[in-house]
Amino acid sequence: MSNQDSVVIAPQSVRLFHQSLFKTLVYFFFLILVLAGAFKAFPLVVDALFLIVIAAILTTVFNPLVDRLESSGLRRIYGTLLMFGGIIGMVALGVIKGIPTLLSEISRIKHVIQQNAATDSLDSIMADINSRIAEYIPGFQLDLDLISSLSSQFFSQLGSVLAGALDTLATVIFILIITMFFLVDGKRMTKQLIGMVPNRYFEMSLNITYKTKQQLTNFLRGQLLAALGVAIQSFIGLTLLNWLFDTNISGVLLISSIAGMANMIPFVGPFMGMVPAIIVSLFNNLGDPVAVSNFYYILHIIGMFLIVQMIDNNIISPIVVSGSMEMHPLTVILLILVGSQLGVLGMFLAVPAWGISKVVIQEVYQGLKGHHLI
Amino acid sequence: MKEKPITSYPLFESFKDKLKPNRSQAQMTLSQVNVFSRLSWQEIKIIENAVHIRNYGPGEPVFKQGDPGSGMYIIIEGSVGIFLDIPQQTPKQLSKLGDGDFFGEIALLDESPRTASATALENSTIIGFYRPDLMDILKTKPALGAKILLALSEVLAVRLRSTNGELVKVSRKLETVTETEANE
Repeated sequence: MSNQDSVVIAPQSVRLFHQSLFKTLVYFFFLILVLAGAFKAFPLVVDALFLIVIAAILTTVFNPLVDRLESSGLRRIYGTLLMFGGIIGMVALGVIKGIPTLLSEISRIKHVIQQNAATDSLDSIMADINSRIAEYIPGFQLDLDLISSLSSQFFSQLGSVLAGALDTLATVIFILIITMFFLVDGKRMTKQLIGMVPNRYFEMSLNITYKTKQQLTNFLRGQLLAALGVAIQSFIGLTLLNWLFDTNISGVLLISSIAGMANMIPFVGPFMGMVPAIIVSLFNNLGDPVAVSNFYYILHIIGMFLIVQMIDNNIISPIVVSGSMEMHPLTVILLILVGSQLGVLGMFLAVPAWGISKVVIQEVYQGLKGHHLI
Repeated sequence: MKEKPITSYPLFESFKDKLKPNRSQAQMTLSQVNVFSRLSWQEIKIIENAVHIRNYGPGEPVFKQGDPGSGMYIIIEGSVGIFLDIPQQTPKQLSKLGDGDFFGEIALLDESPRTASATALENSTIIGFYRPDLMDILKTKPALGAKILLALSEVLAVRLRSTNGELVKVSRKLETVTETEANE
């Protein structure tokens, strides 16, 4: 009997071995397929994730407004649509008013460059600056060739920037659609996601999610309010400069908006906000021999932005921005360097993204500590 | 021949069924809790959308003593034991709660640590209503949020009154004991 059993067992074990080998091969094949798919789809996943993150940030910013509309008795979907209608209306108004001005400015500047006047005038300005600085600092010399080549590069890339703007518009529309879904259904989505957490960590996860959301809302609202403050002050300041000193800066609203947004990057942002105003002013004054020989209007612009920064740092930011953005200057520089690998948008987002991560890490740590899990 | 009552006609029965309110078990349980008992069915439905329904196995902790409190629990079905953890001793069971009972409601208002542990004694389905959910309702449906807060205050007021009564009884007993000891 035992012999018979051993005879039966042998082929069965072989069959089992074959079956398991077959299963292993199938699993291995599927694993390779999944890995290949993942590698192939990786850039797509990263792109999608990037859009979702931006939409999530926008949702955090707009959520209080939609909540307010809902609290007044409006259904959430109508509140969201009303808010988006308002935003689209404002953007459309800006585009209708701004695009013709921008296009005429660009064509004017292009015309000046084609006549080879731009670089010549820049040369004369730089020569004047050098001669004046040399009176105080002997031997000081700004590199004229470098500035000329930089300005030529800037204008040669202007076309490709405009072409890329259409792609950006499509991305923006996509982000807005995701944001709309998040605003309407975000709470249900979050509830379903948190519902997957095991019982042991459920209360903690819910608390961490809520507190992180609160902190992020405060942080982003503070950042946006500070940016708005800088934009409004810059608008007033530039308008006053145009009025009092005839600085001849066009597109004040656009420049002020850029200054406001750039302000979100600590230390470097204020200088980045100042640059467009100086460039526009330089080009607008090219044909004016008095303005070209007298560069004091640039000092006026720098002075105005310094005053805006003083007001922002000492009055507005302490009131509206929470302390979560306190960073070492070296951290900021490193973050901007890392962000620059992802382009201009990366530079803009690196510091706020780090600020957000800091808030999330702090809240998760506090939550885990509170529940005695670490 | 006896005439059939009009209510037994199939068409009428079907209409009657459609008119019957279709209420979930969670809604029925919520409506029995005194914090929500004065709310309309429409408001109960909003609460049902905000709360979290969780399933616990026997012996599984709902929360532990010392954890930061974040909300109240209502038992739909099953049973939960409330235990006091005493160092180096077996946890002491303070009470056993069953279907429709609720616990931990103070944590809706205060994040102070839980004073006891709650553990499921059998397979239990429990509704969790947490502070973030209440805050969200207060933000988006302030009138409903105010009703809940008022009901919570009433629960607390009743408890405070009962605690005061107990305190008076205890202090009277203490006075009697002190007087007796002084006379002796």
